[in-house]
Amino acid sequence: MNIKKCIDAINACRFCFMCRHLDPVGNVTFNESDTPRGRALIIDKIRMDRENLNNQDFINTMYKSALSAANRYHCVSHYDEAGLVLAVRKDIVEAGLAPEAVKKLAKELEHVDFKVEGKGSNLYFGEMPELYPDSKLISGGDPGKALEVLGFTNESKNVFEKFKKAVINSKCETLIVAEPSSYDFLKNKFDNIKVIHSSEYLLSAGVNSQTQSKAYYLDSDYLKNYNDNLKAPRELLESAGYKLAMFGTNQEESYSVGEGAVVYDKLYPELAKKLAERVWEQADNPETDLIITASSYTKSILKKYNPAFNVITVEEAVLKAKGN
Amino acid sequence: MPTVQKSYMYEMIRSELAWVVGEEHIQTTDSDKLGHSIDYYWVPELWHDRGEKLTPPDFIVHPATAKEVSEILKIANTHNIPVIPWGGGSGSQGGALPIYGGIMLDMKRMNKVLSIDPVSMTTTVEVGINTQHLEWEIEKAGYSTMHLPASIACATLGGFIAHRGTGVLSTKYGKMEDMIMSLEVVTPTGEIINTLPVPRHASGPDLTQMFLGSEGTLGVVTKATMKIHPIPESRKFHAFLFKTMHDAMVAGSRIMTSRLRPCVIRLYDEPETAKLIKKVLGIDKQGAYLVFGFDGYEKMVDLEMEQACEICKTLEHEDLGTEMGQSWWDNRYKFFYPPYMFHMPQAFGTLDTVATFSNIEKVYWAMKNTIKENFPQATFIGHFSHWYEWGCMLYARFIIDEPPKDPHEAIALYNKIWDMAIRAAIKEGGVINEHHGVGLKLGRIMKDLYGPAYKVLQDIKKVMDPNNIMNPGKMGFQGKGA
Ligand SMILES: Cc1cc2nc3c(=O)[nH]c(=O)nc-3n(C[C@H](O)[C@H](O)[C@H](O)COP(=O)(O)OP(=O)(O)OC[C@H]3O[C@@H](n4cnc5c(N)ncnc54)[C@H](O)[C@@H]3O)c2cc1C
Ligand code: SF4
Repeated sequence: MNIKKCIDAINACRFCFMCRHLDPVGNVTFNESDTPRGRALIIDKIRMDRENLNNQDFINTMYKSALSAANRYHCVSHYDEAGLVLAVRKDIVEAGLAPEAVKKLAKELEHVDFKVEGKGSNLYFGEMPELYPDSKLISGGDPGKALEVLGFTNESKNVFEKFKKAVINSKCETLIVAEPSSYDFLKNKFDNIKVIHSSEYLLSAGVNSQTQSKAYYLDSDYLKNYNDNLKAPRELLESAGYKLAMFGTNQEESYSVGEGAVVYDKLYPELAKKLAERVWEQADNPETDLIITASSYTKSILKKYNPAFNVITVEEAVLKAKGN
Repeated sequence: MPTVQKSYMYEMIRSELAWVVGEEHIQTTDSDKLGHSIDYYWVPELWHDRGEKLTPPDFIVHPATAKEVSEILKIANTHNIPVIPWGGGSGSQGGALPIYGGIMLDMKRMNKVLSIDPVSMTTTVEVGINTQHLEWEIEKAGYSTMHLPASIACATLGGFIAHRGTGVLSTKYGKMEDMIMSLEVVTPTGEIINTLPVPRHASGPDLTQMFLGSEGTLGVVTKATMKIHPIPESRKFHAFLFKTMHDAMVAGSRIMTSRLRPCVIRLYDEPETAKLIKKVLGIDKQGAYLVFGFDGYEKMVDLEMEQACEICKTLEHEDLGTEMGQSWWDNRYKFFYPPYMFHMPQAFGTLDTVATFSNIEKVYWAMKNTIKENFPQATFIGHFSHWYEWGCMLYARFIIDEPPKDPHEAIALYNKIWDMAIRAAIKEGGVINEHHGVGLKLGRIMKDLYGPAYKVLQDIKKVMDPNNIMNPGKMGFQGKGA
């Protein structure tokens, strides 16, 4: 079983309460099971007796995790509570026990067709090609990250192979990735192609702007918690003239409404809505505050559940600043 | 307990609860029941570790208002079902365990800061709030609760009220019972009451203090008004190493009895200095480590610090300076994260005891010798955590690296250590305990601790909770099966 490789995290988290305040799902459901401790206890029960893998309640709890990794980031010893959930999801899938909704979603995610168009020496993977004039554009769906976090390892590999083929055929040497989850997935996957986040590219290209707007940057789970707090998005926004204020009451909570789970809203729309409501509650002046996120997923979910959110992506913020 | 899951009676009660809180705020899944069957008490942790069956609650209910709590308690009285308030589950005494099943009243949905009064420097909050969230919100408003326990992120304000909890700055800012102004409580029979709005009065005995420490046995606390404080201009620390714990204790008690006002003092005995201070802070020294801090206006901090250091220098010492004091403050929570904290398969317990300065060392030696003489397999370490004008708290711990494999034997040994160590401490004037509470773990000691006065507590419980629905079997009160 994959979870057996995570014995250190199981043993550490199963009786530990030290990061419970940072579980985004726990903070809206108030359930003990939606915390690293609650999940580790369940996984420990599965470890002790494989029969428990058949328990639908347990399976549901594992898919309910938003995988923000805010807890792991906070943890003094960085125990991999997120890796633990990923491991048990793999076990669930390998045992053929994934819930129907998960299987259906996985099937949809397998249907990808990657296309490369345009001209340039770089390859851009994102939604705002106008910011990357010297780049080709690759599009066609999720490159395999969503399948990976759902526990479908082989299917994820197959999708990635298609993506890889398209990238290699483009003959570009740098791949610029905008969505943080895709960046996290792709960053170490190529031998001879450099993978960078779009904010790193835009920062190095420089932004000339006279903007002096106040904004709140919502940290991305993938850029902060999974990639050791990548500084580029903040530096980019500051260089574009945004005065960044702290969102909410602290810099530890994840407000990215399920970004870590990539397709969270597709499986748990009611919970994604609650996560969005919490962001609204935590904002200083939700009707007027300008919120900037690195993740188009986060933006789309916030907008979906409350169109009154004044939220844009980092790339949109840069475009806006350039326009000023 | 009349409810049998899947029986029609179970469904009846579930429907009644759902009418109060809404279907989505009742949990009965195996996932939720597991999380609510284990708190921070070593015994249920061991029980889980050894694959034994735990006792889950029948329903986990998340109320949103005092009115809903009141309705739930009325349902529980009608059906004579236990109700167990649950905050963060971080209590170490088994206080929140559903030992007879029943309704687990998870309070975390009641998590709003309702108001901040900057004139009186108080805040009124729903007590299901996680205390780290509370502190963040109060800090954003420019103040601090100054309630900074190691479990700040683990627990709710209600849990701290229920256990008379304490934070690291207790020496200056007090324990929960000093921090709370007034409470809103739902009594076991469902009345919603408020205690008097100020904590100093001569209008009879203090009801606020009666509910503080009642561990969910006398009702459910739903709202609290507590003090808040300005963020101090300066907070500084200093550490000393003394040859013996006794010397360090003399220094610490002199600081307190001179009426200087440190915000914190902490003294580690020789074994804990050698083990934990080395492991967590990297300070590898033989002796007893003493650290203290002052906060407030910088000029006053410097003056008080100078005086406290002078006191320490009258004894044989090594001055570790400010850096090794600051390092303790910076890492104060690190002690509680894995792998720094003791963990399974180890057996461990915190023999939290409080006593006057005249008695506290006697208490320490009585417990230490009891463990040494009777349980050679156990190690005893301790530090002195919360200091007052008259005495301090001993945070003693016993650790057994390899307890018996058989869970029954392991628990029997564990209980025996507790029993003998605590009774030895009580004989020397120790009170069990200072901030962890009684719960299930220490209920049996209550009669001995209080003597005839315990009947007063029992009578209060009987009158307030005629059907014994509120957290039965805790604090030494009657269980549900009896
Ligand atoms: C790592 C760690 C470090 C710790 N450090 C400290 C420390 O520094 N200081 C300290 O004081 N404690 C500490 N503790 C112990 C624990 O955090 C406290 O006992 C705390 O008060 C428990 O609060 P909780 O919300 O988790 O309550 P729970 O464990 O859920 O419940 C504790 C008791 O309170 C009752 N209760 C809960 N909410 C209510 C309510 N609203 N109304 C009535 N009764 C209620 C429960 O029924 C139960 O009897 C620590 C624990 C851990 C895990
Ligand atoms: S991630 Fe770290 S802090 Fe969180 S539960 Fe696990 S061990 Fe504890």
